[in-house]
Amino acid sequence: MSIIPQIDFGKTLSYWPRHNEAIYRRLESKHAWLEEVRPPDEAESVDPLDNQMVLNMGPQHPATHGVLRCAIQLDGETIEKCVLDIGYLHRGLEKLAESKTYQEFMPYTDRMDYLAPYSNNVAWCLAVEKLAAVEVPERAQWIRMIMSELARISSHLLWMGVALMDAGAVSVFLWTFQFREDLYSIFDEVAGARLTVSHSRIGGLVTDLGGTGIKLIEDFVEHFPAAVVEWEKLLNRNRIWIDRVEGIGVLTPEEAIEFGMTGANLRGSGVGHDIRRFEPYLKYDEVDFTIPTRTEGDALARYFVRMEEMKEAIKIIRQCLDRLPEGEIRSDDAKRSYPGKDEVYYSMEGLIHDFMYTDTGVCPPKGAEVYHAIESPKGELGFYLQSDGTGRPCRARINSPSFSNLQGLENMLEGGTMGDMVVMIGTVDPVLGEADK
Amino acid sequence: MPSEQQPTQPKTLPFLFTPVVSSDESAERENPHVKSTTIVPDVVSGLKERFGEAVRAASVYAGEHTVLIARDRLVEVCTYLKDELGFNFLSDLGGIDRFTDEERYEIFYNLVSIENEQRLRVKIRIDESDLEAPTLTDVFRAADWNERECYDMFGIRFVGHPDLRRMYMPEDFEYHPLRKEFPLLGIPGSLPLPPQSPEAGLTMDPFPAAHGSKPVKSFDEEPGEDLSEIRSEMPSERPDDK
Amino acid sequence: MESDAFNQGYLTTRVDVVVNWARSNSLMPMPMGLACCAIEMMAFASPKYDVARFGSEAMRFSPRQADLMIVAGWVSYKMAHAIRRVWDQMADPKWVIAMGACASSGGMHRCYGVVQGCDNFLPVDVYIPGCPPRPEAVIHALMDIQEKIRNEYSIARDGAVGEKHRSIEPVRPKIITPDGDAAITPDRLYGQK
Repeated sequence: MSIIPQIDFGKTLSYWPRHNEAIYRRLESKHAWLEEVRPPDEAESVDPLDNQMVLNMGPQHPATHGVLRCAIQLDGETIEKCVLDIGYLHRGLEKLAESKTYQEFMPYTDRMDYLAPYSNNVAWCLAVEKLAAVEVPERAQWIRMIMSELARISSHLLWMGVALMDAGAVSVFLWTFQFREDLYSIFDEVAGARLTVSHSRIGGLVTDLGGTGIKLIEDFVEHFPAAVVEWEKLLNRNRIWIDRVEGIGVLTPEEAIEFGMTGANLRGSGVGHDIRRFEPYLKYDEVDFTIPTRTEGDALARYFVRMEEMKEAIKIIRQCLDRLPEGEIRSDDAKRSYPGKDEVYYSMEGLIHDFMYTDTGVCPPKGAEVYHAIESPKGELGFYLQSDGTGRPCRARINSPSFSNLQGLENMLEGGTMGDMVVMIGTVDPVLGEADK
Repeated sequence: MPSEQQPTQPKTLPFLFTPVVSSDESAERENPHVKSTTIVPDVVSGLKERFGEAVRAASVYAGEHTVLIARDRLVEVCTYLKDELGFNFLSDLGGIDRFTDEERYEIFYNLVSIENEQRLRVKIRIDESDLEAPTLTDVFRAADWNERECYDMFGIRFVGHPDLRRMYMPEDFEYHPLRKEFPLLGIPGSLPLPPQSPEAGLTMDPFPAAHGSKPVKSFDEEPGEDLSEIRSEMPSERPDDK
Repeated sequence: MESDAFNQGYLTTRVDVVVNWARSNSLMPMPMGLACCAIEMMAFASPKYDVARFGSEAMRFSPRQADLMIVAGWVSYKMAHAIRRVWDQMADPKWVIAMGACASSGGMHRCYGVVQGCDNFLPVDVYIPGCPPRPEAVIHALMDIQEKIRNEYSIARDGAVGEKHRSIEPVRPKIITPDGDAAITPDRLYGQK
């Protein structure tokens, strides 16, 4: 029984009639494995409680973590089919990148995954550095690592607060935001901005990590693990939380790989794929850390993986602080990175370099193409860049982890129940700004 | 002007910038960011042996191997890569507009073998007159959304794709934004805004419409025509001048 | 005069002032959280900045229960219709804050998918600069909205039936009136000199 002929999309919806019709058509034509599983005699019997319903959730919904739109077909309480619609935040970053120099594009990466902007900056810079073969000084690499790991904690903290709020525990949101504020103070001190840091530069960093910054980070590293232990005391054996998430949204390792899931969602399913190990960037091959993996593949496993990742991040930061060398923070090659401000203000050549770098920027050889990925808090965040010999990329492709994860989520939701939908979206942890590019 | 009078470029200037680097100077230098996973000469030579002419070209930059495959053999090659060589994870897929006369579009596939720790880039090329590519959704289910995105951005149709809709832009949008000829600011009037009052229709173009101008419909059209209409509607003299 | 009245157990004021006082101190924001600004909007509700001091901590995700929409983040053309629909469902009186450069003017996202300012389809009351604005700036914008509400006339306008309206000078509650009790007189209220 089709609902599409009953709706006049042109009249009911003044906007995007063809788009909405396409979504509902897809919802009907989609193959649902649940319909096959259901025994035939049950399908014929008329149960008053068993009714089919098509429901639209989003794009403005508090539990969709942004502007995700889900069109779902329900059979009673069970989700039979699900069609996700994204693109409500699409602004064409890949198109914008083609008209910006490599350095100019960096503030846009802040606004992709806005829970961990520093990771995005680092990902972009590393991709450009690989394209143009720019060497980065040691100290800059260590500082980038510290800040990326802080960004990972910040992202996981927000995930934790919001996911638990979705499950009904509001107080966790307030606790995690205390520590997020501490992290913001660190970013504020180090980079000069709370959220959109833009601190990394091609070939290094814009400013050095000063004494105050290091003090703040040390304080944070000292106090944070105790808080994690407190939260784990409350949550790990909490009946309400465990019952809410255990066995929800199970992905087998094969499924997770097939759907292209990345990050904690992949590792929660027992696949220990982490870019920090797979293709070590920065100094990750020199520090000691483990990659937490769980084999259950459900929402609870993803929760445990993220909690463990926060602890591992602290471990990495401690090692980085111990081994932080003295030295330059930016490449000395003026054609490949910005000169320091001292040089710009007091020397003519420095000023010219600064001007030329802003105007033209780094020019990788014509036809060069690279792909560089990092392990962002959400998963594999990669940039594929193609150069045409000028200072602007010919093609910049963003491989965003949230996009891949949402694709898996669409399949994960089918067969779950309506009440668990929010938990599943929460534990997959999508960021729509990144998925929509 | 005689050329002798022009100042000669001092060659010792160390900060001389050239916008186009013609030599492969930086490619020859050792790239500090090379990853061991992307160096897969064995896979490339294996593909060449097995598929022969279907492997049209192979290139390396910064330690990354890229294989250009004939479009018709893509599914075959990818099935072989997945089943025999363990490239079971499709990390990324995307289109490229090369803006050339022949074989204008390119699609790259970023394949990862998690067990063998390898990464390989496979490419196909598509001519503008025949915008069709074979779908990979039968091999990798992860290709589904990425192919939809590629269709949305470049208008490349994936033959056999189960659900070829636009990924980001609404279906009512008619253009493919990542093509090089598409202007960054979009086509005026192609995306409507909500009505300004309950009775009114959709606002197709808020600012120019409010000012009475008609945007140019195509690049071939002379912009002067519309401007002359607006000028004729304007009063010829300002009242203050009298 | 007023202190005498207060001692006798009653207090005189205008209905407008009472209504505006109540409205301005119990704004229920509808967080139209779209992008990065939404994260700062969360921080604005979180313990450090604590918007509960201004009576607006009750974020209402249902448009029927909200009277202040905070558009936080860039607005794409695709999303604009949904935002307008939510706005149309909100009950009057209602206000809009365009939070951040993107919502105010399109900001850095000068591109085909983004509406260049949500004032193209929403009646914005307060714009906040910044990308994203700090929570302090959002609190300031909220105070601006409160200020705006305190200067609104709803009852007084209805009282002057049959008379042609002249524009009335804004009258503020006593706390912020510079010229004391004299500020609140019928003459000034109804614009008769």
